[in-house]
Amino acid sequence: MLFTSDYSIKMPIGEALLRSVLGIVTVISILAVIALLILLVSKVIRVIEAKAGNKPVEAETAAPSATPAGVPMPAGMNQGELELVDTDEKTAAVIMAIVSDKSGIPLNRLSFKSIKLMEDKK
Amino acid sequence: MEMIKDVLIGLWESSGFYALFADGTFLWQNLVMILVSFVLLYFAIAKKCEPLLLVPIAFGILLANLPGAGLMDDPTGLMDTSNIVDGAHWYDSGVLRLIYAGVKSSIFPCLIFLGIGCMTDFGPLLSNPVSLLLGAAAQLGIYVAFVVAILVGFDPKEAASIAIIGGADGPTAIFLTGKLAGHLLGPIAVAAYSYMALIPFIQPPIMKLLTTEKERKVEMKQLRKVSKVEKIIFPVVVLVICAFILPDVAPLLGFLMLGNLFKECGVVDRLSDTAQNALMNIVTIMLGLTVGATTNGQTFLEVKTLLIVALGLFAFAFSTTGGLLLGKLLYLITGGKVNPLIGAAGVSAVPMAARVAQNEGRKYNPANFLLMHAMGPNVAGVIGSAVAAGFLLAMFG
Repeated sequence: MLFTSDYSIKMPIGEALLRSVLGIVTVISILAVIALLILLVSKVIRVIEAKAGNKPVEAETAAPSATPAGVPMPAGMNQGELELVDTDEKTAAVIMAIVSDKSGIPLNRLSFKSIKLMEDKK
Repeated sequence: MEMIKDVLIGLWESSGFYALFADGTFLWQNLVMILVSFVLLYFAIAKKCEPLLLVPIAFGILLANLPGAGLMDDPTGLMDTSNIVDGAHWYDSGVLRLIYAGVKSSIFPCLIFLGIGCMTDFGPLLSNPVSLLLGAAAQLGIYVAFVVAILVGFDPKEAASIAIIGGADGPTAIFLTGKLAGHLLGPIAVAAYSYMALIPFIQPPIMKLLTTEKERKVEMKQLRKVSKVEKIIFPVVVLVICAFILPDVAPLLGFLMLGNLFKECGVVDRLSDTAQNALMNIVTIMLGLTVGATTNGQTFLEVKTLLIVALGLFAFAFSTTGGLLLGKLLYLITGGKVNPLIGAAGVSAVPMAARVAQNEGRKYNPANFLLMHAMGPNVAGVIGSAVAAGFLLAMFG
């Protein structure tokens, strides 16, 4: 307990206000510190990874999107990696177009990681 | 003949009908609560409103209000010393009372947080750390409601427990209330979970009121991909910082981050699977049942309960407001690159609040895809409400 007051009795409104302000400031401060640390740690990690000869930082930070060969890539679309398992490129293109159409999300904002043909289980 | 008469009288006197009129008092409150449990069961089963929580909670209400059944009896004063029976043992307690020890001791909320940690992806937050500020701002309702609760006459421990409803986090509300004001656990838990289920109805009007159409249409830049190392370091760093500043937050955040580490480290898949499925389901059953069982008619049906429900809604609305206002500020600072709607997702209820931001954004711009951007403030809200609970515990615990 931080204070020795008896909390089974009523609290003056001024004190309640003061503690509330202190409370929200504490929450914001702690989360701000965490935010700064995240920025710091992520920068350090990216520098280390870049030095270790990994992919360039910018290439890794781009959200992965995918487009199979033969499908024109819309402007601003990011090239990524798409794993096709027992699926030809034409079918993959059709599937991605359908997902984009049904979800209403433009292809350049979708990220496909893999498309796999499922076994027909009967 | 005499024996048959004795047996029948014995049966009658041990029945719930007799207990309903015990000591010459008609326990109408229990009957009302039984009806309430039927209504909640209807909503859970027929309307599918949060059924995983509402079915056990409603059934707990039913069980605790069955006259004479004694499922929450406490003859040894495990938690309530007002009805101690001489010579009674701990195992003479009602079965739900024994299970309730898991709530009172914070075991259940912590285990729920373990499961939540396993299911949470902090990636969107890591790729956009400003989300943390939105998650912090969306705790505003907790502190506004605290002041109002003091104004209407609650003592500080009760006011803090009621205010935490504004964090929109069931386990956190149960954790804090169990420690500060156990007698209010029933109404606070029911209010917290009800408002979480009602997010799609509560938040949109506030979003519309506080944002312009232009702001709601803002499309946000794609998030960067977060490396695995960052995801593994994050739970450890957050726990250490928060627990060093506010040690009272360690139980909740500790389990949340342990669960997240299970998920991200990739070497304990079996533990992660158990924590987010089997264990989570078991604890949900026990938590729901016993939280429902705290709503005994005699103590639940009071004006105080209505006040708690009203203050909870007030807290929730102000938390949404806090997130939206900071979202608007970020919109201005960044020259229109942040959609303020994602601020409303800072109220913690994962992933419901993020979905509401996504749906509202798409109403005004069908090509808008805010979900992943809203997930950042959403998971930040989980940390924010836990920190807020830790602060209140440090103040009044």
